[in-house]
Amino acid sequence: MTAPSPGSETASAVAVDGGDLPLGGGLLALVRPALDLLEAGGVLAVISTASSLEEDLPSWCRAERHAYLSREGLPDGRTRHLLERGRLSVAAGEREYGIELPNRGGRVLSADMLAAVPMPERAGSSTGFAPRGAQVEPGGPQYPFSLLERDRVAPPDVAQLYDQAVASQWDAQRDVPWDTIRPLAPVLERALGQIMTFLAENELSALYVPARFLPRIHPYYAEVAMFLASQLADEARHIDVFLKRARAAGGGVGVSSVTTAQSLLSLLELEDFTEAAFLLSVLGEGTFLDLLRYIERYAPDEATAELTRRARLDEARHVHFGLAHTRHALGHDAGLYQRLEAAVRRRAATLHTAGGVPAHLQDSLTMLAAGSAEPKAVARGHEAFRELLDTMHEQRIKRVLNAGFTQEQAETISGLHTPNFM
Amino acid sequence: MTDSTILLGAVAYDPKVVTIWEGMRDYFREQGAPMDFALFSNYERQVETLLKGHIDIAWDTPLAHVQVKLRTGARSISLGMRDTDCGFQSKIVVRKDSGIGSLNDLEGRTLAVGSRDSVQARILPLYYLHREKVDLSRVEVLRFDTDLGKHGDTGTSELDVLAAIHDGLAQAGAVGDLVWVAEQAAGRVDAGKVEVLWTTPGFNHCMFDALPTLPEEKVAAFQRVLSSMRWDNPSHRRLMELEGLHEWVEAGEEGYQSLFQALEAGFYDGAVTG
Repeated sequence: MTAPSPGSETASAVAVDGGDLPLGGGLLALVRPALDLLEAGGVLAVISTASSLEEDLPSWCRAERHAYLSREGLPDGRTRHLLERGRLSVAAGEREYGIELPNRGGRVLSADMLAAVPMPERAGSSTGFAPRGAQVEPGGPQYPFSLLERDRVAPPDVAQLYDQAVASQWDAQRDVPWDTIRPLAPVLERALGQIMTFLAENELSALYVPARFLPRIHPYYAEVAMFLASQLADEARHIDVFLKRARAAGGGVGVSSVTTAQSLLSLLELEDFTEAAFLLSVLGEGTFLDLLRYIERYAPDEATAELTRRARLDEARHVHFGLAHTRHALGHDAGLYQRLEAAVRRRAATLHTAGGVPAHLQDSLTMLAAGSAEPKAVARGHEAFRELLDTMHEQRIKRVLNAGFTQEQAETISGLHTPNFM
Repeated sequence: MTDSTILLGAVAYDPKVVTIWEGMRDYFREQGAPMDFALFSNYERQVETLLKGHIDIAWDTPLAHVQVKLRTGARSISLGMRDTDCGFQSKIVVRKDSGIGSLNDLEGRTLAVGSRDSVQARILPLYYLHREKVDLSRVEVLRFDTDLGKHGDTGTSELDVLAAIHDGLAQAGAVGDLVWVAEQAAGRVDAGKVEVLWTTPGFNHCMFDALPTLPEEKVAAFQRVLSSMRWDNPSHRRLMELEGLHEWVEAGEEGYQSLFQALEAGFYDGAVTG
């Protein structure tokens, strides 16, 4: 086949050597791709020694709405059939050809792919699951994707974040030193079980909330969906290790509070992707970073410290994505500041009946830091918990500032954040 | 339903016919031309019902179209056809090992043909062979009379013909060109075993028929809405793919002359349904 030169381009004339292949004996595997290289009205020459084509090519052209132009004998005895590509079913765009992704020490990065095939500003609903860059035949069905604007969906560094996420996956069986777990006093083991219950419950919401948005993302912004998929895998792993830790040494799963249930429902009911990214990832998972650091610091064994450390590193990536997403969206939509603040206020209003930090959790975090039921130790635990709340508030303000809000907005937003942390 | 509703007849040769005309009915209503449809089990009944004026328009095979023309003294009106109905051809397909190198070589051999009411797999191929001076009385004709009354719409008899050639029950056979290329493209033809010997001249296929008494506004509405269908419109394309066309085109009567001649020459044995 005479191929077009490297790069993405469409040819006006192409030739194929069909040898002695009959139409039904493989010739179409040469003819159809060659026609795909042509724009409507372009001419394909089929050189062949198969006499059956004199009957079959014109009929095939009639069935496929191409024009069979002519045939002529060549000096070497072969026949040249000329076909003109019809105007129907010509896929939109040009055939991509010639991209060679760099090999970086044996790694091929998604970030390089994104750089080679940038995301369009807007996506249409008729390209279905066609990957970005594919030619799309006209007349396909409409798909129900609703996140169709790049600047509302995809921060510029999403592919780097995806590459990082893939490289950072860990194995909950292999990477946690489960054999370091030793029996604790029942009061401490129960406290740890309660903390793990709370973590698992919140991570379940972090599994379900992004999952609602994933099928709304146009596949042209697939890196966002792929990043969210890695986030879902992270959450699944966290749920797994938290529940295993709760049940590894008798502490057991504890209480689910109404405050937590109300708080997480208000996340699940969000319908706007950017609001969800801000509330879940920036505010919720951001606050969880401090919580996980606290648990890691006071962990009674290496296994607990390691699994919370690993979970925190994953969560930091989610926070990073949430921040990048929010910052990018704010940069393209000034009205978004008010909408995000309003979303925080609406959520706070729905949670106004909720009390403070769920009591079972507060007590358990106090006991974890105390390390024993001895009153002086409990006093230290109580102080550590109080410091945790202060740290969470301060860090939350920093993250909200980092997202692009003013100091005043950041303080307001942080103050309105749910007592459930997530 | 009001008098302005166009009542169209179609033959239910396949379950997809319901899907097609339900979709077409919705499309016509969206376009401000209310249309409903009645399904028939055979074309003879549909033609009779049209002639009695009980339906406005019949979606007819070429055989049904020519019968309507003959029964109305050529006064019936033709409203449109598929692009794929223009320039239809039949193929005389032969086994490569049969030694058949010309049409006259068919004499003394077995030729598989489709249903007796199939224009593309029986009536016209035999008529065209007769015109090409093949002595059909010396050809052993193997007949596959399946789905009678459907005028070959199901394509079953054409697949029977191809199977008979592959299996050696016949050395040659007649099929329509669309079935022939579709079966080849799908890899269901053994190109090492069978090939085309001859292609008939072109002829036209299906047609929307109406009596000359059909009100002008219905004619205009039907043609306006039909011709507005576009291949690159997703909701249209779904129906057009099911119905086997890329665009609706204006009626062309010249492509039926050979069928008139074939009927006159006795190449249709007559209906067994109706």
